[in-house]
Amino acid sequence: MRARRQLLAASVLTAASLAAACAKPPAPVQEVVAVRTAVLPAAPDEAVWNAAPEHVAKMIPQDLVEPRLLAPSTAEVRIRALTNGETVAFRLNWADTTKSDTPGPAQMVDACAVQIPQQNGPQPPAPQMGEIGRPVDVVYWRADWQAIVNGRGDSIRDLYPNAYVDPYPFNARPLVPGSPEQADMARRYAPARALDNNRSGPRTAPVEELVAQGPGTSEPAAPRGSTGRGIWAAGSWMVVIARPWPQDVRDGQRTSVAFAVWQGSQHEAGARKMRTGWIPLLAGGAR
Amino acid sequence: MARVYNWQLGRDMSYWYPEKRPQRQFAAVFDTNKCIACQTCTLACKTTWTSGKGQEYMLWNNVESKPYGSYPLAYDVRLLEQLDGQRWEGSRYAGRTIFEAAPAGERVLGWRPEQQDYSYPNVGEDDCAGQVDHGALIQVPHLSWFFYLARICNHCTYPACLAACPRGSIYKRQEDGIVLVDQGRCRGYQECVRGCPYKKVFFNPMTGTSEKCIACFPKIEQGVQPQCFVNCIGKIRLAGFLSAADQAKAENPIDYLVHLRKVALPLFPQFGLEPNVYYIPPIHAPLAFNEQLFGPGAGAAMAAYRGAPADRDLAGLLCLFGSTPSLVARWRRRGDLVSGLDEKASEIVRVPLLEPVHVRPAVDPTRQVVRTNCP
Ligand code: SF4
Ligand code: SF4
Ligand code: SF4
Repeated sequence: MRARRQLLAASVLTAASLAAACAKPPAPVQEVVAVRTAVLPAAPDEAVWNAAPEHVAKMIPQDLVEPRLLAPSTAEVRIRALTNGETVAFRLNWADTTKSDTPGPAQMVDACAVQIPQQNGPQPPAPQMGEIGRPVDVVYWRADWQAIVNGRGDSIRDLYPNAYVDPYPFNARPLVPGSPEQADMARRYAPARALDNNRSGPRTAPVEELVAQGPGTSEPAAPRGSTGRGIWAAGSWMVVIARPWPQDVRDGQRTSVAFAVWQGSQHEAGARKMRTGWIPLLAGGAR
Repeated sequence: MARVYNWQLGRDMSYWYPEKRPQRQFAAVFDTNKCIACQTCTLACKTTWTSGKGQEYMLWNNVESKPYGSYPLAYDVRLLEQLDGQRWEGSRYAGRTIFEAAPAGERVLGWRPEQQDYSYPNVGEDDCAGQVDHGALIQVPHLSWFFYLARICNHCTYPACLAACPRGSIYKRQEDGIVLVDQGRCRGYQECVRGCPYKKVFFNPMTGTSEKCIACFPKIEQGVQPQCFVNCIGKIRLAGFLSAADQAKAENPIDYLVHLRKVALPLFPQFGLEPNVYYIPPIHAPLAFNEQLFGPGAGAAMAAYRGAPADRDLAGLLCLFGSTPSLVARWRRRGDLVSGLDEKASEIVRVPLLEPVHVRPAVDPTRQVVRTNCP
């Protein structure tokens, strides 16, 4: 606890002193400090992110459960965090020379996730997606969802521009284009959509809220209003993921956070991912 | 991994989950000797189940021209190359299954087809280099024979797709052994696509989930055979339920062909999944090829099938293929008539062992016309 207090003091000091000279970003810190700001930035490239100190989180392959990630890929993810008191926004930044945002057979997409224990306490649950009875909240962002939110259409030609497709049954007469009957018929030809699988779109947000109690158990969570936005440029992703603080985390308190990154070009998906362990997360470090 | 019994291998083997056989197991027999590659089955499935967005490339049912045809491309050869030493000692498999050969960190020995591997649904279609006057232009291992291999999901007793899914999104129904991907739970990791050696799970890029043959379960539940069965032009297919090997009943047509007469054999039993579509091997293909595809029983199965003209029970039962849309729970032969019965032993169809043949003279002198005798 004493060590933690010292850490807290050090980080507050770092954040405060460097905020004065805003042109220069604060030096890297050993924990994730969510720095207080009036308005949270929606985009990952806004200047206000420079006010937050950077935490460089080393990543390790998921090697607890099969299928494991056998070849390590993303070595580190650079984290900054801001908070307006209600919501905490993380900016994840990692190097990825290939932008993978088109799903297909054997075509995985880039993705990342932020994980926070549902109940704050001295001992967080297992860092690999929690434990039975000790759930974790996950906010998951995907590059293909981002592309859809950015305007990619919901047709096969949006994925394969040269595709030729025979008419679909749900486009046939006497169904009136755009009618509820037609929409209903189209859903029946997309089983995952008919079952309201969050995974299946069409999407209005690039993030999905999940709750998990161990590997392979993630389920849709009750909506919390999480948001996200990612930009790929010059060989790296910058992704903002924002979510409300857990109820039991107040200003000045600590909880834990963990991150995961998937590189589509490396066929990473699901259990095949790079992850961090738990990292201390300080709510509302002074600015 | 658990230890489970695989009757097709004649031994115990390793599997991701403990043995839990369903109350009954959906199964089918395909007679490769009768398939004409008309692809009506493929279209029957396509129009029924996979005409939605993202399903364009999917063929839950496909028919490939062996030896070279394959969908996705080289799905069989790619795995056979990785699985070394597929040795049989009599009817016992002495090699490793894809579960036993799983590399460290993996649940099964698998591989991932690339997008373009789905671009050639039947490469080598009808390729045959025999009977060429001046000899064949190219020399390949299999020269003067081919046959058609119709494939659907095998609704395996030990599905690799199910074992490979880290989320438990794939399940095997207790009531009929049909293997399904839960479309509400799947998150599109494609581990099943990688794991299924028959490559019968397909990723849907529009819904982001993996989809597969559902054995037309809404029809099965009503006692009706699946779409690709009832629409089969060549009448090569019969659907039903397979009993455990030690509880085979002669009156059950699938048991009779698989367990008792052993004329219908699993596809690539050495992979270890205990697949439940059984094939009567093509009798004109080389034995070594048939043994690689269908296991050590291929020679005996070919001999039994060749003997069918003098084997009224076997020939009789084969006449029931494609004779009724209903599931045939039992069958019997009385003289020259073969009957298919439902579960309550009521007759649902009766067919003659030999169809009456009428031959008309090709030329009708009265009307001065030439006629074609079409069946
Ligand atoms: S419909 Fe029957 S005969 Fe035609 S290709 Fe399919 S299995 Fe073969
Ligand atoms: S054939 Fe493939 S998809 Fe079908 S049950 Fe077996 S492993 Fe699963
Ligand atoms: S059994 Fe039904 S779902 Fe499966 S391939 Fe045949 S038609 Fe398609």
